[in-house]
This record gives sequence, C-alpha cells and structure tokens, in this order.
Amino acid sequence: MVTYTLKRLGAALLTLLIIMAITFFLMNAIPGSPFLTEKSTPQQIALANAKYGLDKPLIIQLKNYVVNYLKGDLGTSLKMQEGTPVRDIIFHQGKFVLSIKLGLISLAVAVIIGIPLGCIAAYNRGTWLDGFLRVMTTVGVAIPGFVLATLLLASLAVKLHVLPTNSGQLTDFKSYIMPILSMSFYYVCYVAKLTRTSMLDAINQDYIRTARAKGVKTKMIVLKHALRNSLIPVITYLGPVTAGIITGSFVVESTFQIPGLGKYYVQCVMSRDYPVIMATTVVLSALVIFMNLVVDIAYKIVDPRITLTNKED
Amino acid sequence: MADFSKISPFQVDPSAIEEAMGLTAEDFAPASEGEKESMVEKRKSVSYWRDAARRFKANTVSMVALFIFICCLIFAFIGPKLIPYSYGDQYRSSLKLGPREYSEGEALIQSASSYFDGFYASGLQAGSITAVMKGDHYITYKGNKYGFTQEQNEEGVIIGIEKSTGNLVKVYEKDVDPATGAVNKVTVLSEGPSEPAESADELKTVKSVFPHIFGTDSVGRDLMARTMYGARVSILIGIMAALIVLIIGSIYGAISGLAGGTLDFIMMRIVELIYSIPEVLIVLLLQVVLREPLQEWIDHSGSSLAQAAGALGSGIICIFITFALLYWVTMARIVRGQVLQLRKQEYVTAAIALGAGNKRIIKRHLLPNCVGALVITTCLQIPSAIFLESFLSFLGLGVSAPMASLGSLCSDALQTITLYPYRLVYPAVILTIIVLTLNLVGDGLRDALDPRLKK
Repeated sequence: MVTYTLKRLGAALLTLLIIMAITFFLMNAIPGSPFLTEKSTPQQIALANAKYGLDKPLIIQLKNYVVNYLKGDLGTSLKMQEGTPVRDIIFHQGKFVLSIKLGLISLAVAVIIGIPLGCIAAYNRGTWLDGFLRVMTTVGVAIPGFVLATLLLASLAVKLHVLPTNSGQLTDFKSYIMPILSMSFYYVCYVAKLTRTSMLDAINQDYIRTARAKGVKTKMIVLKHALRNSLIPVITYLGPVTAGIITGSFVVESTFQIPGLGKYYVQCVMSRDYPVIMATTVVLSALVIFMNLVVDIAYKIVDPRITLTNKED
Repeated sequence: MADFSKISPFQVDPSAIEEAMGLTAEDFAPASEGEKESMVEKRKSVSYWRDAARRFKANTVSMVALFIFICCLIFAFIGPKLIPYSYGDQYRSSLKLGPREYSEGEALIQSASSYFDGFYASGLQAGSITAVMKGDHYITYKGNKYGFTQEQNEEGVIIGIEKSTGNLVKVYEKDVDPATGAVNKVTVLSEGPSEPAESADELKTVKSVFPHIFGTDSVGRDLMARTMYGARVSILIGIMAALIVLIIGSIYGAISGLAGGTLDFIMMRIVELIYSIPEVLIVLLLQVVLREPLQEWIDHSGSSLAQAAGALGSGIICIFITFALLYWVTMARIVRGQVLQLRKQEYVTAAIALGAGNKRIIKRHLLPNCVGALVITTCLQIPSAIFLESFLSFLGLGVSAPMASLGSLCSDALQTITLYPYRLVYPAVILTIIVLTLNLVGDGLRDALDPRLKK
C-alpha cells in the first residue's frame, strides 16, 4: 500500500512536470511577445525580456520555472496585474477559495443526491418512479452545462427575478443555487445512472438473497450489503468528475460572473500572461491529479479484492 | 482417458491407435449419402450484422432516437436548401425580429405578394444589393427570361410578373397600401419576355416573403438559417473528430496489444500520462496557441491542403488537432484490451497452429471481433466531441464569425439574454436533442452489437 502510494505520487509529480513543459513550450509557440504594444520599441522589449528572464535559452527558462516552483515561488504577473506575485493572485485574492468552494459543493451534491437517487430507482425498478428517474438522468447527461446555466439564468433570474443574475462573491445562499445546480446536475444524473446499474447488479447476487433469507430488513440490505458493493464504479468515476467540474467552473464562473480561478484562467490565456497561465495550469492540474490519486486509493479501501499494482491486465 | 503412451511416434501401429483411442477401422470409412445429408444446413445461418440489426430494431427507444436524429440531419443538411436565407447574409431592414415576425418592409411586400406571380424585391435582399450594379439584370419566370436594368441605389423596389397581365412590372414599396395590399402605381417594364444582355445577372424571385421562423439577430441574420448551419457544423465536427479518434486510437491500441512486451509497456505509460493530463486546460491553451500560426499558414501557403483548411476556418482545425493529440487514449485502451483478450482465445491459437500468418489472424479473427466495440466507442465519441466543440465556442474559442455552431449561437444569445431569451432556446434545445439522441442510439448499438454487455 505504502509502496503503491509512493509510486503513484512519483508518477503524479512526473505528470505535473510534463504538463509544465508542455505548457511552457506551447506558450512560447504563441507568436509575438507579451510586451509587444503599439508604442514599444525593440529596445524596450529587449529590456523587459531581460528583466523577466525571457532572453535566456528556453531550456534554462524552463529549469528556472521548475526550481522556483519547488521553492514555492510562482513568479509575478506580467500583464493583467503587473508586478503582483502570482501566488497572491491565485491564493490571496479569494479566487482559489471561490473555485474550490464551488467545486467541492458541486462534488458533494453529485454524491449526496446522485447515489440515493440511483438506489431509489434500483429498488423501485419498473415503477413510474424508476421510469421518471431514468428519463431525467438520460436527458440530464445530454444537456451541456452551459446550456443549463444559461437557461437557468434566462428563466429564474431574468424572467422571474427570483435569483440574482450576478452571483459575485457568493455571499448569500441565493447566489449559490444556480451555479451549483448547473455545475452538478450532469454529475448527479450520471452518478444516479451508474449507481442504479451497479445496484441492480448487486441486488441479484447470492449474498443479498442470503441476507434476505436471514430476515435482514430491506433498509439494512441496501445500506450494508448492496450499496457498498455498488459504490466501486461510482468511485472510479469521481476522478474524471473533478476534471469535469473544473471545465464546468470555466463556464459557470463566466456565466454568473463569479471572479474565480476558472474565469481568470480563460482571461489570462487570452492575454498571454505567461507566469499566470503557467501557475494556474499547474495548480489546476495538480488538483486533478491529486483527486485521481485519492480516488485510486479510496478504490482500494472500498474493495480489497483489487490489486493495485497490476490493474492494467 | 486414452493411453497415448503406447503410441510411439516412430513406429505407428494402427491397431495401437485404435486401441488407445477407442476407435475401430469402421470409424475411418467414408460417410454415406445419408450421413452427409444430415450435415447440410437446413436454414441459412444469420450473419452477425443481420442479428445485430434485428436486435436494434426491437429496441423501441433507440429506433425513436434514430428517427429523431435523422430528422435533425434533415434539418441541418437539407433544411438550408429549403429556406431562402443563408447563414451569413445580413438583412439590414430586418434587425432583431422575433420568431415569425416580419419587418415593416417585409410586411408590406408580403401584403402586395398577391398582386405578383413571382417577384424580386430589393428590400428583401442582403445589405449588399446596392453594390451589385453591373447594369443589366434579369429574372426567370416559367422558363422565360425578363431583362431589365436596375438603377443605382434604387431601394424599396419590387420587380415582378403582374398576375393579371403577365407583364414585367416595377412597383415602389411606397405605392403599396399596407392595409389592403392594393398597388396604386405600376410601371410596366416590358410586355412579355424580353432578351437580357449577355452579361446580365440573374436575380432570384420568390412567391411570397419567407418568414423568419426563429427571428433574426442583431445584425439582421436569419436565426433559423444560422441554427441549421450551426447544427451542420456541430454534427460534422462531431463525426470528423470521432473518425480521427477512431483511426489514431485503434492503430495505436492494436500495435500496443499485438506487440506486447517492452513496446506495449512504453506505449501504455504514454497513454496513462496523456490520460492524467487535464485536457480542458491544454485544449484552451492549444486553441490560443495554434490559432495564429494556423491562420498564417492558411493565408500564405498556396497548397490545396491549406485551402481546404481555410474553408473550414482555423478554429475548427484547432479542434481537430486537439482531438488528434489528446482524445484518442480511451479508444486506444479499449482496442488494446480487446486485442489482448482475443489473442488468448482458442480459435486464434488454433489458427496460429494451422500456420496462419499475422495478416490473416488480424483480418479474419481480430478485426471482425473488434468491430462491435469500435462502432460503439466511435458512436459515443460523437456527442462528446459536440459537447467539447460547443463548450469551446461558448467560451469564444471555437468557430469564427460569420460561421456558426450551436455553441457559438448559444454564446451570442447570452449577450442579449435579458431582451431576447428565445435566441438561446432554439440552438440549446437542438444541441440537447442531438446529443440525447446520439447517446440513445449509441446505447442501442451497444446492446445490439455486443449482447454480452447487456445486463
């Protein structure tokens, strides 16, 4: 277990390093300089390049990035908030906290609502309730997040004026409803679908029949026997969900005007603020990779039958 | 158990074989006619595809989904030919119309349309019409040409065939009574057909003003035409991207699975690495990075490939490159898994024992057995590609104006959502229907092609 975790940690760091390299070379492939404006002279650009170390060979620049990142120095912004340390922009201006808050709540909603819905559907198989839930989840996974976000905005905020159009800093409960709903609806539906399928699988197993024969109550059968076994595919799915929720945050933060990391990332990619792009990519990637790691380990805890070292074959 | 130890490989004694295997000499006699007949097929065996088609047809949900998806295809591919508007034309007099609304000029012409038998109205055409001043024009009616000269900057003019006389006439919009549609003043241009100049341009005529069923946008483009066009772009991107994924993923996966050993190990580590990269971040970066060099290449390289790319636009090419770089890994994993699983099957071992080469094994055994999984994965890849494209277009990184995709239409609509919420509804609903039906068709295909997967 410890060896496995260490191995995975090493692989995760390697992935992060490669992502840094890809991002770095991609950014340098963008034609033009970040300092190029209508007024700037070649001398000014050269000076600015020298100041930020952009005149050195690419490989040295990359090395400097990696070394500085290991020290916890994420560089300073070149354009959007010139001179401000990137670390302050990401962590101290509330952007990171906002995005993490949104992401974690959405993830929690997906699990807390999705799993019970799946169980209810499986236990009422063939009834109108199951039919309704099946239609809802099938349609739910076909609605793109931004469509749901904009439709909610158009109906609840613009037409009915029940909720605010601008969620801003997410200060009150009302401002949470639409962002969370549009971010998590897809995943609620997907998790419910998955849970229903694997629950039906589990219900037909012999040990459930045994438990029933022993006289265990239905509630206990669901909670103790069936659910635990049907959670495995759901957990496997939670890794990709994290990546998906980051995608969702790009759309949701832009639509509801929440000044989080997702909205900021789109802006800084467009304005070519190299250090900020790099830092944001690394922070977001680290988040996704970390979640995948957690999921893989949780997987092992839930189902000891899985051997982690050889899961390919 | 037969005792084979009595059989020596060097001295074969028939009686020893017979004794060891419990066979007699009679067992080696040729089959009689009666015995042969019992082996003849009574019924033609059902082929894999026929069997799958039967299963698919029995699945009501998938059949309905397929029908609706075909309707979407007709809407996207045949629809634009049926309506007189095009996705890029701007109608200056018809800005910001609601669904099925006519602009003032259109309403006027519509009310006068009972007077004409096929007409051309300058007020209906795109804003560029005053620039088309080559001198002579003509309209065609019942196979006959009617030539005339349109004067410079003559707007608000209807030229058409008068119903009562069959003459080519000119009517100013101001001479039409908006309430009754009665025409007060008519100028006869020619009685009967007339020969136009050789260089004359044909002007398209219509019988009545076609309504803007979905309304128009802020620069006067017909939204239905744009939605049809957008649906076409989205579907094509989805299919192309799925094909790219299919080709790269299946070749990579097949090589990895067949080669085995160190090569397989390295190839799979690469797949794992790409798999753990948060693709959306890289996609966004790629979109920004690739756009300018691509545009440069399209503008300056004269090759036919660059021209084809230019017709698509750099945004769409970026999406394809992204798919080619990042999205094939799932397909590669599935194909590799299939190949590994099939390679261990007894019939493959038997084929190898009978001396079949690699080529024959791939062609006769591996490929036909993989096809089901390939079709299913490709089909389910299409909606996910449409999702990604619409997501990028929504953020303003996908297709570039005046082209449209369903995502960019939603994004445009978001700018004016407080005033014109219906502009969002049409593309959003069609996008959802396309993704939903494709998902359902994919599920149906999975049940039909791979019954083992069905629970």
